[in-house]
Amino acid sequence: MTSFKNISLAAGVFAVAFGMFSCDSNPRRLPIMGERDVVTREVDGKTVEDTVYNTIPDFSFVNQNGDTVTQEIVKGKIYVTDFFFTSCPTICPVMKKQMSKVHQQFKDNPEVMILSHSIDPTHDTPQVLHQYAEDLGVQGTQWQFLTGPKEKIYEIGQGSYLVTAKEDDAAEGGYIHSGAFILVDKDRRVRGMYDGTTEEGAEKLMKDIEVLLAEYK
Amino acid sequence: MTGIMQGRLLGLLLLVAASGCRSQEELKRDQYYAEGYQLYMTHCANCHQADGKGLANLYPPLQGSEYLGRKAEFICISKNGLAGEIQVAGKTYNRPMPANPRLTDIEIAEITTYVYNTWGQETTYTPTDSVTKILDNCKTSR
Repeated sequence: MTSFKNISLAAGVFAVAFGMFSCDSNPRRLPIMGERDVVTREVDGKTVEDTVYNTIPDFSFVNQNGDTVTQEIVKGKIYVTDFFFTSCPTICPVMKKQMSKVHQQFKDNPEVMILSHSIDPTHDTPQVLHQYAEDLGVQGTQWQFLTGPKEKIYEIGQGSYLVTAKEDDAAEGGYIHSGAFILVDKDRRVRGMYDGTTEEGAEKLMKDIEVLLAEYK
Repeated sequence: MTGIMQGRLLGLLLLVAASGCRSQEELKRDQYYAEGYQLYMTHCANCHQADGKGLANLYPPLQGSEYLGRKAEFICISKNGLAGEIQVAGKTYNRPMPANPRLTDIEIAEITTYVYNTWGQETTYTPTDSVTKILDNCKTSR
C-alpha cells in the first residue's frame, strides 16, 4: 500500500514536471448535485461570478451511543447517508444489508463515514438504535445511527439530501421514504445518489466512493 | 390375442391417466411455486432476504430454520405475524414481525409452497384448503 502510494506520488510528480498532468490522466469526476446559484461580486473593481452549490447545513443529532453528533463529525471526511427506521417492514432491511457491504468495504478508512438517520425518532431512541446496530453487527463509530427532532430530520432529508422522508399513514409501517444512499463530499456537497435497495446501487456507490476519495489525493 | 391387446390398452390408459394426474399435480405445484416466489420477494424477502438467510441478528433465516418443521405455526406466523423472543438455528431474535392481513389463503399457500420447496424438503404444493383449515385454528385471532 505504501509502496503503491509512493509509486503514484512519483508518477504524479513526474507527470506534473513534464507539464502533461492533464493529458496524462483524465480521471472521472462525480457531478455536484442539487440546485445551484450563481452570485456575482466585485473583486478589485471587476465583476466575478461564483457558483454556490447546494451544501449540507450544520446539524445536531444524537447517535446510538447517546452522544450528540454535529457536522464536526464529518469534517474532512466523505460520507454516505440514508434514511430508515428500525421497525420498517419494507425496504430498510434490504438497504441495511447493502449498506453493510459498503461499511465492510471501507471499514477503518478514516476518510469515510456512514450516517443513517431514523425518520421515526419517537420510537427509535438511542437505545433502540444501539440495539439495532448491535444486531446488525455494527461496532465502533464509523457508522452512526442518528435520531433527533423529527422536523429537523425531515428538513435535512428533503431540503438538503434531496430525498423523500415523511409520515404517511397509508404507507406500510407509517412512513414513506426514499431508498437512496447519498454520497457527500468533504465540502458537504451531494456528489451521488444510489438505489440502496439493489446490489447494483451499492456496487456503483462503492466505485464512486473510490472516485471521490481519489479527488482528495 | 384380444385379451392381451385389451390388457395393453388398459395398461396404456392407466399410464396416461396416471401421468395426466401427476402432471396436473406438478402443474399446480409449479404455479404455486412461481406465484409464491413473487409473493415471497414482495412480502418476505425484505427481512428474510432473497436467499432465505435472514439478516445478521436482526431477522432470522428461513433456510435451516426449525420453523420449517412446524408448518402450521409457519402458516399462522405468515399471516398473523409474531412478537417476542424466538430461537432460530441457535440464535436469539427479538424483533416483531408484522402481520400480513391482506394476504389471502391462496397467497399464503403459494408462499408456503415456495418456502417449503426451496428450503424445506417438500416437492409438492400446499393446498389452499389445508391453509384455510390451519389459519382457522391459529392461536391468535384472524
